[in-house]
Amino acid sequence: MGTSSEPAKIEQIITEFFAKSLHIILESRTQPCSSSRNNYSGEQILLSSPSSSSSSSSSVRPRDKWFNLALRECPASLENLELWHQSNLEPMVVDVLLFQRGPVNFHDDGAEMMKKDKVIERWVVKYETRKSGRDFGHGGNKRNPPSATSHSLYKKSIILLRSLYLTVRLLPAHKLFHELNSSGQILAYGLAHRVSTLVAPFTRREEVEMKEFVFTPVDTTCGRLCLSVLYSPALSDVNSEPSTPVSPQFIPDYVGSPTTDRLKSFPSLPLARFRSHEIPSSVPFERRHSWSYDSYGSSAPPVSGFPSPAYSDSRGFSYNPSSHRLPPLSIPSHQSETPGSSNASLATRNTNVDDFWPSPMPSPTPSPSPPAHLKSKALLRSGSAPVSIPTTGNPALRNIHVATPSPPRAKMGPSQSSNGRNLTRAGDVNSALKYEKMNSFGKDEVGNIYGAKASSGISSRISFSRSSSRFSSQDMFDYSDFACPFAVGDDITDPRPGPDLSDGKAHHTEPRAQVRKSQDAAVGALVEMLSTAPPLRQDISKSIKLSQVSKPEIWGRSTEEPAVTLDSETGGLSNSSCNVNITSSGLLLSKTTADALEEFQSYRQIKESLLLRNGNDGTSTNAGHASETADKS
Amino acid sequence: MNCEVCSLKELEVEYFEIREVLRCILHTIVFHRALGLVRPKDIDSELFEITYVQCGDAELEKKVEEKINQFIGWVEKHPNKKSQICLSFYEVKSKQPTWFSNKPERVYWEQWHINLNVQHPKALTIKSHHSKVVVDPGVSALEERTVRRAALEASLREVLFQIIKFVNEKKDHIPPIPNIEGVTFPYEITLPSSSDSSFGMDMFKRMLQTGHPGMLS
Repeated sequence: MGTSSEPAKIEQIITEFFAKSLHIILESRTQPCSSSRNNYSGEQILLSSPSSSSSSSSSVRPRDKWFNLALRECPASLENLELWHQSNLEPMVVDVLLFQRGPVNFHDDGAEMMKKDKVIERWVVKYETRKSGRDFGHGGNKRNPPSATSHSLYKKSIILLRSLYLTVRLLPAHKLFHELNSSGQILAYGLAHRVSTLVAPFTRREEVEMKEFVFTPVDTTCGRLCLSVLYSPALSDVNSEPSTPVSPQFIPDYVGSPTTDRLKSFPSLPLARFRSHEIPSSVPFERRHSWSYDSYGSSAPPVSGFPSPAYSDSRGFSYNPSSHRLPPLSIPSHQSETPGSSNASLATRNTNVDDFWPSPMPSPTPSPSPPAHLKSKALLRSGSAPVSIPTTGNPALRNIHVATPSPPRAKMGPSQSSNGRNLTRAGDVNSALKYEKMNSFGKDEVGNIYGAKASSGISSRISFSRSSSRFSSQDMFDYSDFACPFAVGDDITDPRPGPDLSDGKAHHTEPRAQVRKSQDAAVGALVEMLSTAPPLRQDISKSIKLSQVSKPEIWGRSTEEPAVTLDSETGGLSNSSCNVNITSSGLLLSKTTADALEEFQSYRQIKESLLLRNGNDGTSTNAGHASETADKS
Repeated sequence: MNCEVCSLKELEVEYFEIREVLRCILHTIVFHRALGLVRPKDIDSELFEITYVQCGDAELEKKVEEKINQFIGWVEKHPNKKSQICLSFYEVKSKQPTWFSNKPERVYWEQWHINLNVQHPKALTIKSHHSKVVVDPGVSALEERTVRRAALEASLREVLFQIIKFVNEKKDHIPPIPNIEGVTFPYEITLPSSSDSSFGMDMFKRMLQTGHPGMLS
């Protein structure tokens, strides 16, 4: 699949456009970005993840080169992009929600509390494909093909993204974001976001309240790139709510007051600045250059007094509950959801592509291969989309990410393997290819960004490591939670040496879970190991050696309740015998004969009870087991 | 090549507001014309509840500041006048040989006219009705100023959106992205010159020059 063909380039630009616009929007609407910004001061170490700390450097990341716009690292956008955006043919809807917190300020008007989340901004990025010919009403007709080449598209999308970048900052919601970001206290509201391919319809009232700003679409050879935003213009009322308890008259006293603990914790923070955030709506003349790239390092961070998890939690969070995620199950389901105005519905888009190519091509590309490529790609994507996202792992994954600061753990095997899963999680080859393309693209300089670059093994390797750095911390958690539960509870008494852990797990996971939970179960497991050790009579010394490994008190307790686990424990003979060999080789001596004798006695009790049970119920698997041990002996 | 002209809505500003207003506008325009690799810098206006964006290019910032200072100096000498600042983008064409000049030629492809009506506080208090706000005669000057400031902020926001709209509607005249030397296309900021009349003349000349390169020099 050559990346040099014009449609492929265009498609890639569009894909990147989606990514970049999402990044731009979330970067200035979500909190995680600000946490990484706090890292510049070094005071928010806990929140710093490996990826975000690197963003403070001025080095140019591959993603920055796209559209010549270097942005702050915004993990939320990457996550969301992975999860939501499967195809260029689906619209991307980014809702910015304002939620009111519970009674943070205890004032009397309880009516205002616990207001529901409200969508204050809805960004819609979509790529509308053309049916046949140019039936887009305005302006499309006089455009000649050369103006819609990938070069021109790229240039125009740069400008469109610049505009988006500015617009995001000019809309009222940015003021809220700004206040959330710059004030050190927990305000009574927060911002969240939701990315999807569906448009949850507004109520009539909401619709009336919202204003719309539509950017002029950018035309391509076979469609156009549309960007629009619905926003609620009046957020000032919401805004003033948290500051109502403090009336403007109190400001001077407040600033001067030494009684405020919060100020004490920020000795470096100019008081006037703090005041301006404290009562944002009432001090219109004072704003600071709060969080630009360069100036931030020199200015004191407004937030340092809070433990970071609480901080990140109290502000905007990634609002992506599973209920909102509707992976593209079927394309027609989107059709009803897309804004009614668009004439090209999603349901017919695949056929649109079909319709389009046989028709006289406005594109100058002479080869027949681009159409085939594009068509197959579109079909493949939409077809494979349903398989793509396993819903089990990810929400938990994100929760972990939010709740616990990622520890600086080195990348290890697990990260690699789960990373591979990430690639395959996307489900289709295309996404992997997309990665490849991104990276091979990103490596180029701006000038030759269109140069044909066959994606080779190198680029795929790079893409792999890239995404591993992106996901490593989360996947570490993922792994440790699900695949290796024992690593967490080291202090649990589990006398069994390492190798048997993994082996035993493969055979019976159920008892292992018990081992993890209770000491008794651990003892049971021990008993099982001992009971299945073959050389009982002949090689007594060996069994004594084995028992030396375990702790005597546990051993003593285990005699009281051997029957609990004996029933369930079967098999695993070879494993434990292997264990015996390992353990018996070390750790001898240092026990008196009396101890050994005592332990031996108790051991014999177990042995007998075991044999007794086996004799009783001949039907169970234990019978076979008994005969096995009998053979050995 | 056609030269697109965008004349921005006139803003009524006080003397001390000139700097911030111009910063907002100039940087917003230039940001849209800085198609090289840009690491944007958010700047919260000191006067308004507006966040504008700089390109993160020190040289550019310096030049803008210089021009603003010059303009403020000009306003001092010419109080109570409507004035226009012109931000132009051009391409350098050096290949066209002419008989009487061989210096590289500037072909302008876009001009922005920033229109300011600079008022002095006294004049403003007299005709404060511009904002259509019914003000009690007894209100304090401070309150009046607040109202006026809010009105200016709204107008400024409007102008910024005007820029965004223009920039998105008119894209076909933009020349290819130059091999990146600076972040932006070559540009110049023209101020009203010391003698008033020549400013218009200057612009006229420039336009002619744009239309017929080589005829005027």
